[in-house]
Amino acid sequence: MADTMGHSATATRNTSVAISFCLLAVAPQVFEFIWSIGTIFGWGTGRGPATVLISHATALVAGAPAVLIGSIGGDTKKASSDVLLALIYSYPIFAVAIVTLFMTIRSAQDYVGGIVLMALALFALWASSDLQGMRGFSFGAGTAPRMFGGLLVALGAAIALTGLLTDGPSMAHYSWRGPLFVMAAIVFFALAIRPLGVVVSAFASFMIAATGSHETRWLEAVIVGACLTLGCALLFPYVLGLPMPMFPRFLIQ
Amino acid sequence: MDLFANLAHGFAVAFSPINLLMCLIGALVGTLVGVLPGIGTIATVAMLLPITFGLPPVGALIMLAGIYYGAQYGGSTTSILVNIPGEATSVVTAIDGHQMAKQGRAGPALAIAAIGSFFAGCVATVLIAVLGAPLTKLALAFGPAEYFSLMVLGLIFAVVLAKGSVLKAIAMIVFGLLLSMVGSDIETGASRMAFNIPELADGLGFATVAMGVFGFAEIIRNLDAGAEMNRDLVQQKITGLMPTRKDLKDSAPAILRGTALGSILGILPGGGAVIASFAAYTLEKKLARDPSRFGRGAIEGVAGPESANNAAAQTSFIPLLTLGIPPNAVMALMVGAMTIHGIVPGPQVMQKQPDLVWGMIASMWIGNLMLIIINLPLVGIWVRLLRVPYRLMFPSIVIFCAIGIYSVNNAPVDVILAGVFGLVGYWLIKHDFEPAPLLLGMVLGPLMEENLRRALLISRGDWSVFLTRPLSAVLLGIAAFLLVLTVLPALRSKRDEVFTESEN
Repeated sequence: MADTMGHSATATRNTSVAISFCLLAVAPQVFEFIWSIGTIFGWGTGRGPATVLISHATALVAGAPAVLIGSIGGDTKKASSDVLLALIYSYPIFAVAIVTLFMTIRSAQDYVGGIVLMALALFALWASSDLQGMRGFSFGAGTAPRMFGGLLVALGAAIALTGLLTDGPSMAHYSWRGPLFVMAAIVFFALAIRPLGVVVSAFASFMIAATGSHETRWLEAVIVGACLTLGCALLFPYVLGLPMPMFPRFLIQ
Repeated sequence: MDLFANLAHGFAVAFSPINLLMCLIGALVGTLVGVLPGIGTIATVAMLLPITFGLPPVGALIMLAGIYYGAQYGGSTTSILVNIPGEATSVVTAIDGHQMAKQGRAGPALAIAAIGSFFAGCVATVLIAVLGAPLTKLALAFGPAEYFSLMVLGLIFAVVLAKGSVLKAIAMIVFGLLLSMVGSDIETGASRMAFNIPELADGLGFATVAMGVFGFAEIIRNLDAGAEMNRDLVQQKITGLMPTRKDLKDSAPAILRGTALGSILGILPGGGAVIASFAAYTLEKKLARDPSRFGRGAIEGVAGPESANNAAAQTSFIPLLTLGIPPNAVMALMVGAMTIHGIVPGPQVMQKQPDLVWGMIASMWIGNLMLIIINLPLVGIWVRLLRVPYRLMFPSIVIFCAIGIYSVNNAPVDVILAGVFGLVGYWLIKHDFEPAPLLLGMVLGPLMEENLRRALLISRGDWSVFLTRPLSAVLLGIAAFLLVLTVLPALRSKRDEVFTESEN
């Protein structure tokens, strides 16, 4: 059981699990940063990338510890949302990542599943942290989300614990091709339906989705895709009477 | 004699040409999609939900109900013919049904499944009509505290009877409850966890999440390398359709027992058709003189579970129509459909919308009759449909789902959200979490929160109200008892036994 080969294998796997938890811990910050790049080109609203980067970095490195020390000293200054994100979400996950390094994971499926659920719950706790809590005996907007968020943190931790204490399956194999192309087809459809209409977006999405399987035969896919597009173009707008554009906007005008 | 007057009224509604047509379309489409492997009842109803938007409410619900039990039928067809249960309820049917098909007795197996389902459907229809009114009276005695406790009981039931880890099932329910809180708060109007995204202000769409977690996730998973094996379809020859006299004699008691068991389990929240079919199979095996025949093509192993799942599928409408509480995920979708049509499910529906309720009940019987007529001659066509290669089927399903979600609100963001939930669902499958409790939690979330708030407001913040009101205390007591029973190892091993049997 405890031969060196097996041991070193678990050790490397633990490190990679810990590293992915660290990435998970800063995922919201990274996501906001990527999102904010769009503001340079005038897409969407929000803070610019530079502001996002600086405020999150200061919150993670300096802001949160300052608040932590301040709260011990009885200083009740209101923390900013970035600092709260670091405190409520990132720090606990970092802590879990560090703890992971020293654990023997007996069922990676349960352990990782539990921790990710815990992360989701912590994120929900942060997202509802600006809502009002109990007012006397009546519930505020934030009471129920906090209650269930706290419950989910506990449940996630319990699931992770079973992953440490009992033997179980290791991580399942993920494939990338199917999810990638199916997602691409969905996103393309969502972006194209308004400007390009049902006919173009349905056919193009069909072809993108078909790329997701290595079994696809192209000629066959084109024929079936065309028939399906025709069917949908008749079924949804005419038979079911749902309003949607048929052809690209620039062709009609 | 109220009962007969009501039923007569219902039949008058259901026999109108438009509703007959809706019933037929629903049953046909349900069977069609139920036959497709990998797409279960929940996904079917979720996908076809948008289609019913343009219809009048009665027609829409009749059609959805038709889709629901049509899918039950279709699922059993594939499990018998090709050993692919179209959905969870027909998993047990596949054990003995497919063995019968291998012995060339697919015809009798299909016929008994159809006859058993039809009989169970008839009994359940009468049961709904009989029990509906008294249960509604009971429902009027329910205050917020009782409602909350009842929902807790329902969720606990879903946990106890779900397969796999109890802890994971509870976690999924809580996750669903959290998801249901995205959007505006009902009482204060405060925006919760919406991140200033206007599309989230109204909350996560139920159809969006359901289609993502069930539809897209299922497709993505089927594209995994190695999953081709499970999709391999075998053509079986069907010789002779009608069961022999001996078959009928063997299966008659099994059908009766299955119907009784299924009717009871269907009414209980959280139970539903899946549990009913497993329980019926176990019961038949326990009662049989020669249990070793099971798994080798025993006709009782088809008759019992098939009747039970159909009976349960129909009686699960009872809690929905009388208490407004969906006992399982499909019924949860029905609540979604009702809400879209501006109907609030609950005790008042029976009085305010007699057309809807009794029309739907009557249409169930008609639908079952249609199914038995449709299903038997069409078996050959269903088998041919199974030979449509998956490489063509999956992009079609993706497009169909995408257009469907877009048409709900004309919102492209919904389509992307459904895609994201598809990835979430894929992750859940990979980590052995069941998505069905998540959906149930998401639907019950707003109701639960509202009743919890109200109960505590009335009791002036006193949490003991849930224990001092007798009805609520009884419900919570049952829930606690069930949970304790599940955690006890004795029952646990028994649970595992029931489910390992099905996997042989």
